[in-house]
Amino acid sequence: MSILLDVKNLRVDLPTERGMLHAVRGIDFQVRRGEMLCLVGESGCGKSMTSLALMGLLPARARRSADRLQFDGLDLQAQDERGMSRLRGARMSMIFQEPMTSLNPSYTLGDQLCEALRAHRKVTAAEARERALYLLERAGVPQAADRLRQYPHQLSGGLRQRVMIAMALMCGPDLIIADEPTTALDVTIQAQILRLIRELQQEFGTAVVFITHDLGVVARIADRVAVMYAGEVVETAPVDQLFDQPSHPYTQGLLRCIPVRGKTLPGSRLQAIPGVVPSLVGEVQGCAFANRCSQVRPACSVAPPFAEVAPGHAVRCVTAAHPATLAEVA
Amino acid sequence: MLTYILRRLAVALAVMLTVAVVSFLLLHLSGDLATAIAGPESSAADVEKIRVQYGLDRPMVTQFFEWLGSALQLDFGRSFYFQNTVMELVGERLPITLKLGAMSLLLAVAVAIPLGVAAALYRDTWVDRLALLVATIGQAMPNFWFALALIVVFSVGLKWLPVAGNASWQNFVLPAVALGYYAMPSLMRLTRAGMLDVMGSDYIRTARAKGLSPARVVFKHALRNAIIPVVALAAVELGFMLGGSVVIESVYSLQGLGQLAWDSIARNDYPVVQAVVLIIATFYIALTFVADVLNAALDPRMRTR
Amino acid sequence: MTTTSLPLPGTAALAALPVPAWRRTLRRAAGHRGLLIGSIVLGLAVLAAVLAPWLAPHDPFAQDVTQRLIPPVWHERGTWEHVLGTDKLGRDYLSRLLYGARVSLVIGFVTALVAGLIGTTLGVLAGYFGGRVDAVVSYVITCRLAMPVVLVALAMASLVGGSLKVVIVLLSLLLWDRFAIVTRSATQQLRDAEFIAAAKSLGASTPYILVRELLPNLMGALTVVATLEMAHAILLESTLSFLGLGVQPPTPSWGLMVAEGKAYMFFQPWVIMIPGVVLAVLVLAINLVGDGIRDVAAPDGRH
Repeated sequence: MSILLDVKNLRVDLPTERGMLHAVRGIDFQVRRGEMLCLVGESGCGKSMTSLALMGLLPARARRSADRLQFDGLDLQAQDERGMSRLRGARMSMIFQEPMTSLNPSYTLGDQLCEALRAHRKVTAAEARERALYLLERAGVPQAADRLRQYPHQLSGGLRQRVMIAMALMCGPDLIIADEPTTALDVTIQAQILRLIRELQQEFGTAVVFITHDLGVVARIADRVAVMYAGEVVETAPVDQLFDQPSHPYTQGLLRCIPVRGKTLPGSRLQAIPGVVPSLVGEVQGCAFANRCSQVRPACSVAPPFAEVAPGHAVRCVTAAHPATLAEVA
Repeated sequence: MLTYILRRLAVALAVMLTVAVVSFLLLHLSGDLATAIAGPESSAADVEKIRVQYGLDRPMVTQFFEWLGSALQLDFGRSFYFQNTVMELVGERLPITLKLGAMSLLLAVAVAIPLGVAAALYRDTWVDRLALLVATIGQAMPNFWFALALIVVFSVGLKWLPVAGNASWQNFVLPAVALGYYAMPSLMRLTRAGMLDVMGSDYIRTARAKGLSPARVVFKHALRNAIIPVVALAAVELGFMLGGSVVIESVYSLQGLGQLAWDSIARNDYPVVQAVVLIIATFYIALTFVADVLNAALDPRMRTR
Repeated sequence: MTTTSLPLPGTAALAALPVPAWRRTLRRAAGHRGLLIGSIVLGLAVLAAVLAPWLAPHDPFAQDVTQRLIPPVWHERGTWEHVLGTDKLGRDYLSRLLYGARVSLVIGFVTALVAGLIGTTLGVLAGYFGGRVDAVVSYVITCRLAMPVVLVALAMASLVGGSLKVVIVLLSLLLWDRFAIVTRSATQQLRDAEFIAAAKSLGASTPYILVRELLPNLMGALTVVATLEMAHAILLESTLSFLGLGVQPPTPSWGLMVAEGKAYMFFQPWVIMIPGVVLAVLVLAINLVGDGIRDVAAPDGRH
C-alpha cells in the first residue's frame, strides 16, 4: 500500500501571554492508503493541533513548520489558502468532536450536505441530493429523505454525528481525520459510531487518522497506532504489536492504567503514572517523559531520537532503543 | 409561541396606557395650561374664559378619561392653532416622518453591516480601528450640529442637494444621513461583536473544513447567524429615530410629525403634542414588539413544526 | 530550575506572589490609549471650566456691536484680541466657550449623579428582591423607554420654562433607564454569589448587604454607564438649548451658541463649527473614558 500522508518533523508553535507554546514538537508519522491510524494521547498532548495543522485550520496566530508534509505527493506547505480549500472536503475531510455545535443551526441538513459536494464538483442539485441520501442511509440515519429537510436541532447527538460522517464522505475523500468523534456521545452510541466508521472505512477504502484518548477504542479499530506525549510521537506500531510489546515507558504505563480485555488479569492492580505532564511553554530539555519514567537514565537528559526497534515499530526512547546492559545501570 | 406573543401584546397595551397617562399628567400638572394657552399678556378673566372653553376646569380624572375615550376612537380632538382635527394633521405629517425614518435606517444598516463584518474579519488591524473610530465619532457629534454642517457642506458648498422642504427624494438624503448616523455605531458594534462570536463557533470550523470558499463561509454561514440580534436592534433604533426626528425635521423644514410636535410645543397646542407623544410611543412599543418576534422567528431553533 | 544556594524559608512563596489586582488594572489602564487620551482631554476640559474666570480673555457677557462677527485668528481678518472670533453681539467666542464648558460639565456631572442614584436604586432593588418588585420596576423601565425623550423634555421645558436648573431636573428624571437596566442585571448575577451568602449567614441586614457588599462590586459597570449618560446629558442639553428650551441667553451654552450662529452659518461657518467641534470633542473624550474603563475592567470582553 502506498503512502498517502507523509509527515516529518511537524512543529506547531502558539504565542501566548506566558511565552511560546510548543504544542507539537517535531512529530513523524505516515498513513497508508486505506489504513486506520489511531493517534492516541492524553489531553494537551498536541493531537488536535496536529489534525488542525494537517488541514491548514490552525488559528491565525499559530505557526506551522515541517520538513515534509505531503498528501498524496502534494506538498501541503506549498498550498495557499485557495489550494487548501480545494483539498478540504474533497480529498481530505474532517469530523469533529462536538456534534451538537458542529452544524449550522440556521440551515437544513440537506443544504449543508449538498454544499459539501457542490463546492467541489459540478453536479446538479438533484445529483447532490441523491448522493446525500445514499450516504445518510449508509451512515445508518433512519428516514433519510425526511432528515434532509430537517434542522440540526431536531436530531440527537448520535444522529448528528452520523450526518457529520456522511458529510465527510460526500466527495469521496482519500483521507478522513476524525478528532475524537465519539467522546461526546453516550457509551452505547459510541460503540455504534465506531463500528460505522470502521465499516465505511473498509468499504470505501478511505484512510483515517482517528484521534482519541481511549486505548479501548484503539484496540477495537486501529490498524496502526501512534502514541503522543507532550507534543511528540513517542511510539508508533501496528496495533497488535503495540499491545503485545509496548516499548516506550509511557505506553507501558498507559497499558497498566487501564484494563485491556485479554491482557489484564482479573484481580490485578491498575497503576497510575506518577507526576504531571511538563509545561510546553518554553523549551523542554531532554526527554519530556523523564520526570515520570521508572526507567530513566542519565542519557535521558538529551532528547532521544525516533528509532526503529522492530519492522514498522519505532520508539522515541533511549532505554527502549538500547536496553541497558547490567554494567550501565549503576 | 402564541402565548408568548399574547403576553407581550398585553404588556405592550399596558405600557401604551401608562404612557398616555403619564404624558397627560405631565402636561396638565407642570403648568397651568389655560395660562399657557392664553398667553402671558392675557388678563385673569381671559384665562378663566379659556379654562372653561377648553374644559380645563373639570376634574383631572374626568378630563383624562374623556381624552382617552376619544383617543381610542382615534379622535384626538381639534388643534388649538389649526382648524383641522389633530388626526388630520397627523395623517398629513406621519408619512413624511415614516419615510425619513425608513431611509435613515436603511442608510445606517447599509453602512453598519459591511463595516461591522470588515471590522470583525480584520480584527485589530487598521480596518477594525478605523471602523471603531468612525463609530466613536458618530456617537459624539450632536445631531443638530451635524445636520447643519451637512447643509453647509452639501447644500451650500457643493450645491448637490436642496436645503429645505420635502418636495422630492433628494430632500430626504441629508436628513436621512443626519438621523441615521447616530444609529450606525451601535448597529456596527453589534454586527462586529456578533461576527466575532460566530466566527469562533464550531460550525464555522466545519464549514471551512468542507473546503467552502472564505466568502461563502462568511456570508452564508456566519452572517446569517450573527445578524439576528442586529435586525432586532435595527427595529428598536427605528423607534428611537422616530422620536428623535424632532430636531432633524426642524433643521431641514421637513413638515413631518416631529416638526409638527415642535411647532405645537412652541404654540402651546397641547392636543397635538399629547397625540404625537402617544403616537410615537406607540410606534416604539410596536417596533420593540416586532424586534422581539423577529428575534424569536429568525432563530431556527424556535421554528419547530 | 537550578538554585545555587538554599532559599530562606518562606521567600520562595513570596517570590511567587502575583502582582495585586488593582496594580495590574492600573498598569493596563496606563497602556490603554483611548482611556489615556480621553482622560487627558476630559481633565483639560474640567480645568478650563474651573479656571474659566482666569483663563477667559474677556467677559463672556460683554457685548460690543462694533466687534461683531470677527473671524478667528487664522482667518485673514482675525485678530489676536479675539482668538476665536466674536459672535453676532460682539461677545468674545473663546470666553463664551470656556464658560460654556462649565454649563456642559455641570449638567453632565449632576445629571449623571442624580439619574445614577435613581436608576441604581431601582435596579438594585429589582435585581436583589426579584419577584413582584422586579416586575414593577421592569414595567416602569419599559414605560420610560417607550417615551420619546426629546419630545417629552421639550414639552415639559416649554411649560415650565427653560433654565439650567430645569434642564438638570428634567434630564435627571429621564436618563436613569440605563443605570437601572445595568444594575438590575448585574445585581441578579451577584445575588447568588458566595460573598453575599456569607454576609447573610453572619446575620448582616439587607441594607448593609446592599450598600457594603453589593454596591462596591457594581462600581465598575456603574462608572461606565455614568460616563455614557453624562455624554448623553450633555448632548441632550445642547439639543434643548439649540431649540431654545434649555439654558436661556445670555448664559453661554454651546448648544445655544450654535443656535445663535445658525443665521450666519453660510458665510461665517465658524460660528457653528467651533462650538460643535468642541461639543463633539468633549463627548468623544467622555465616551473614550467610558469605553476605556470597560475594556480595562474586563479585558477579555466578558460582560
